[in-house]
Amino acid sequence: MIKRSKFSLAILMLVLVLGVFLAACGGDSDDNNDNNNNDDQTNDQTNDNNDDNSNDSTNDEGNDNDSASGEPQMGGKLVGAMDTAPAGVFNPIFYEEAYEANILDFTHEGLLSQDDTLQFGPGLAHDWDINEDNTEITLYLEEGVKWHDGEDFTADDVVFTYRSIASPGYIEAGGVRTEYVDKLVGYEDFVNGDTDEFEGVVAEDELTVTFKFAQPNVTILKDVAFPIIPEHVFADVPIGEMPEHPGTLDAGEVIGTGPFMFTEMLEREQYVLEKNPDYWQGEPYLDSITWRIVEGSVMLGLLENGEIDFIADPNGVAAQDYESVAGLDHIKIHEQADFGYQLMGFIHNHRTAEDAESGTINPDNWVPNEDMGDPLVRQAIAWTIDRQAIVDQLLLGHGSVINAPIAQQFWAYDESAATLYEKDLDKAAELLDEAGYVDADGDGYRDTPDGEEWVVNLNYPTGNELRERSAPILAQMIEEAGIQVDLRQPKEMTAYVEDLTNNTGDWDIYLLGWSLGSGDPDPSGLWRSQDAYNFGRWNNPDSDQLIADAITPPDAFEQSYREEVYSEWQGYFSEDLPALLLYAQNKIYGFNERLNGVNPMPYGFNNDPHLWWVSE
Amino acid sequence: MQPNPQETLSTQPELTPGDNQKNTSKSPFQLAFRRFLKNKMAVVSLIFLLLIVVICILAPVFTDQDPELTDLFKIEQGPTDEHILGTNGTGQDNFSRLLYGGRISLLVGFSAMFFTLTIGILLGSLAGYYGGKVDSIIMRAADIMLMLPFLVLTLTIIAILEKITIPIFVTIIAVTSWPNLTRIIRGTYLSLREQEFVLGARAIGASDFRIILKHFIPNAIGPIIVNATLMMATYIIIESALSFIGFGIPQPTPTWGNMLSEAMNVRILRDHPEAWIPPGIAIFVTVLAINFIGDGLRDAFDPKSKQR
Amino acid sequence: MYKYIIRRILVFIPMLFALTVIVFGLAQAAPGDALTGQQLADPRVDPEVYEKQREALGLNDPIPVQYAKWISNVAQGDFGKSLVFNGRSVADLIEARFANTLYLGIFSLFITIVVAIPIGIYSARKPYSLLDYAATGFGFLGLAIPNFFFGLIAIYVLSINLGWFPAQGTLSGPGMAGFEAFFSRLHHMVLPGITLGLAGTATYMRYMRSEVLDVLGSDYIRTAKAKGMSDSNVLYKHTLRNALIPIITLMGFEIGVLLSGAVITEQVFQYPGLGTLFISSVTNRDFPVVMAITLILGILILIGNLLADIFYSIVDPRIRYD
Repeated sequence: MIKRSKFSLAILMLVLVLGVFLAACGGDSDDNNDNNNNDDQTNDQTNDNNDDNSNDSTNDEGNDNDSASGEPQMGGKLVGAMDTAPAGVFNPIFYEEAYEANILDFTHEGLLSQDDTLQFGPGLAHDWDINEDNTEITLYLEEGVKWHDGEDFTADDVVFTYRSIASPGYIEAGGVRTEYVDKLVGYEDFVNGDTDEFEGVVAEDELTVTFKFAQPNVTILKDVAFPIIPEHVFADVPIGEMPEHPGTLDAGEVIGTGPFMFTEMLEREQYVLEKNPDYWQGEPYLDSITWRIVEGSVMLGLLENGEIDFIADPNGVAAQDYESVAGLDHIKIHEQADFGYQLMGFIHNHRTAEDAESGTINPDNWVPNEDMGDPLVRQAIAWTIDRQAIVDQLLLGHGSVINAPIAQQFWAYDESAATLYEKDLDKAAELLDEAGYVDADGDGYRDTPDGEEWVVNLNYPTGNELRERSAPILAQMIEEAGIQVDLRQPKEMTAYVEDLTNNTGDWDIYLLGWSLGSGDPDPSGLWRSQDAYNFGRWNNPDSDQLIADAITPPDAFEQSYREEVYSEWQGYFSEDLPALLLYAQNKIYGFNERLNGVNPMPYGFNNDPHLWWVSE
Repeated sequence: MQPNPQETLSTQPELTPGDNQKNTSKSPFQLAFRRFLKNKMAVVSLIFLLLIVVICILAPVFTDQDPELTDLFKIEQGPTDEHILGTNGTGQDNFSRLLYGGRISLLVGFSAMFFTLTIGILLGSLAGYYGGKVDSIIMRAADIMLMLPFLVLTLTIIAILEKITIPIFVTIIAVTSWPNLTRIIRGTYLSLREQEFVLGARAIGASDFRIILKHFIPNAIGPIIVNATLMMATYIIIESALSFIGFGIPQPTPTWGNMLSEAMNVRILRDHPEAWIPPGIAIFVTVLAINFIGDGLRDAFDPKSKQR
Repeated sequence: MYKYIIRRILVFIPMLFALTVIVFGLAQAAPGDALTGQQLADPRVDPEVYEKQREALGLNDPIPVQYAKWISNVAQGDFGKSLVFNGRSVADLIEARFANTLYLGIFSLFITIVVAIPIGIYSARKPYSLLDYAATGFGFLGLAIPNFFFGLIAIYVLSINLGWFPAQGTLSGPGMAGFEAFFSRLHHMVLPGITLGLAGTATYMRYMRSEVLDVLGSDYIRTAKAKGMSDSNVLYKHTLRNALIPIITLMGFEIGVLLSGAVITEQVFQYPGLGTLFISSVTNRDFPVVMAITLILGILILIGNLLADIFYSIVDPRIRYD
């Protein structure tokens, strides 16, 4: 049995549901001040190794921003660049890629949005009530919100959106967002086709909607924050045909409530967003924003000569290009840590061939991995890795060493409980000696306690340039401790994941990266013993218990309780080492100084675009 | 294992049949060899190619850097005294990768040529000698192979393989590109088949194997050598092109093609021409030299072609 | 003639069938599928969701069943849906790229012909002249330089350093129309077009030269000249007609080479054509797209061969098919 991942909103998702939050902030200048403070926080937290560099520049940028910002001006066009074209599915319930998010961030909104401390605030809903036991939430929608085609936005649209995700055939049509609906009352019956009534989401009246959950829900706000699609466009479209409907695919037909309308595209090259003059939070300043798909080769040149105005999500400016961008007078830089991390995983156990065949994940059947199953060996290997050097040299300082498998931006991240591994060959040697791994035959490499030749193999996938580069470097670091490493040929991701999932072979160490959601820090889905993505087949009942405790009501309604539990769990993690976490990369946004009013959130750049304006 | 056309040529005369040759004191190979030596461009190219081969084989003499050793503290550096062509994205020395990479590229080119040649001689001999059904089956298969989109097949095969080693890579290339050579060899055989000396040999009861070995191969050897040489150049380009788009011999093994693939990263393309231009030039001059040699050989074996 | 064409087309069918069986078989032999790769992008998505999608897409069916489904859909003109571009139909994805590749191919062929044929003729009429030597030299260079390396150099020099041509894309902006769009397209196609056409230009030039030399040396041309026909008359009426036959045939047979070259060239310039789509699809195991492109390329190559034969018979009335 695989349990559903409760990792909250995908970064992308979250970015989408932004929008509002104006009510909480004062004027524009306050915004900017907030922005500066946030920058400082983010950087202090994530870039301690790189103070002089990024911190300064961010501060400068902030100050510039203040001095440059006069009165916002109406009009103007903006050009953004991304390096890969969106797949072309412009529907929040079906898209899967960050590149589409760059369009949908501007066109669609959710009921709630997240602020810079990752707390949920108002969006299309201005207020909400949660009942005593956290099973019901009633949201009050903004009045007078119109879809891009002039229709009124109502509670029925909310019901329609969630109902679509819950409907039978949604998954078969290619949708993957069921985590937003499967906790709702009556989901099972509805998705199995036993009933046509979906009780989970109910429109009380035009502007009031109630979500009913089967169990007390710790992440209730996250679950109701999904971007809303228009009922009047898709009402008569069977769910199976929705992905191919013009309202999903075609510029001009994609309808949202957001500040910009997706009006034109030259597929794989240009995507044009024009302002929605009737936007409910006020008319956007900009006339249009155009996304251009530009290969990295020319991106910087275009940024320099002003043909493009900003490079932001999902990849930002490459760390190696930081200096050249920072050297441009008219370009500002905003740098912040990414949600996610790269890891060097240890295979604790192998699965049996029968289990792999049938897809069973049962820790009782697992076969311990010789050598790598010994915690002393794992710790020893962890002590051979100079993670700081990797961050400094490979990432050129634009990233940070991460010590726990929770995104650093969360309140739950607590490295004080974790062992802070660094390069210490003496310690590694000590641990290996203790575990009985000594060089028995004098060939310069340590052998197993039985005196047999010991070779640790290291596997890695292609697809991430930095990770590919890190593999031979990591192998070399481990070898310095006298451990013979067999650096395997890189595999293309699909084949790699297949092998990693089956895990019936002889793997010892694997490299992988996870991008995490910014909705909630809950690590289930990745690290519990029965999780499919627990590729190392780490089996630790204590850890499982802690992960479960952290989201078990009623205690878990208190954030302080969750903090404690997560802190303890992070300690377990770093002792038992299902993986050594390597680094979290920084995202580097670069934008032309003529662009004002930008206020990037920890999870993305495309925040409040209706407040963006250009000075000429 | 390195290509050495001259050697191939000079070892052949023993096999030369005397039957239908005019009674000159020199075998056709010696004649061809003489003619080849008169072609300055070809000879210079041959010397040049040998030089490249020797430099690559003796790579350890020319550089004391390990081409696969990474250095975290020397990533993407420009040229220095220690690394005269700088370092790549994992801090490996570009110059030593150029030399050691040459070994792999040349080895792949040569072994793919050799492999194709084996298939081609085998199938071409069968088809050309026996004719009839054998011929039509082999030739139909060759026709089909020729009409299939070569790159599509190669890329699909490589994409699904879990591991790409040099022998596997060579096999893929050979298996997808045997028809050309097979056709050429068959054609030569067909023209020889009805000639007197073959009929004579058959009449005195020579075995098929003996006839093929003693009469056909020596007479077909000219076009075979010429085409094999030109084919090797093609294979070197194919290796580099596939490696360039990430479907070749994977890192960390250096090849000229995967060195060039680093230039897909614009930063390297723009800021580090010293990292990608040398392997490109290496491929270029090697292929150029082989082509000149091939042309020289063609003129040498088929003097008529020169008159055009 | 028509009979011949029909017979040839009938022969295509089993060949295409063989091609699709081979590629389909290879595709299914691959470890993992399109969903395996996507899966990791978002750890919040339950792997069971993908298992359900696999079931719905029929990816768990036995291979012959999958093939039968695929081929019967294709026979009805339905290439299915992409597994990676969620919900996009294959036909829809391929349409725009196919046009781009076609434009690129035609443009490079145009350059090739415009450059190679006149120079080839000139070289043959004035052998051992300076231009002839230059052309021969160029021929050797053009065949020896890998086209992707030439493309990189072109980007490095003409795009990055001189800024004369765009290094990628097909058009400067959406909403361009008419002449503006046409010239923008052309401007974008210059570098990839030349890169793709380079090897072809060298080949055709050499061919043209030797063919013209051949014909000029033949008896009937000598006779014509002896009868007092003017040089240009001889050249255009007799020589070219005969010299062009092998060139046209070559062109038909070289379609495969051109398309293979396009795959690599498009990759260098990140040109949104069939080649880049094929490479990304084959890497992501998006096999409905891979199969469709395979089929299209296969058909193009076969048609190229057929056209070569037909042109051959038109240009040279001595050749008759029946």
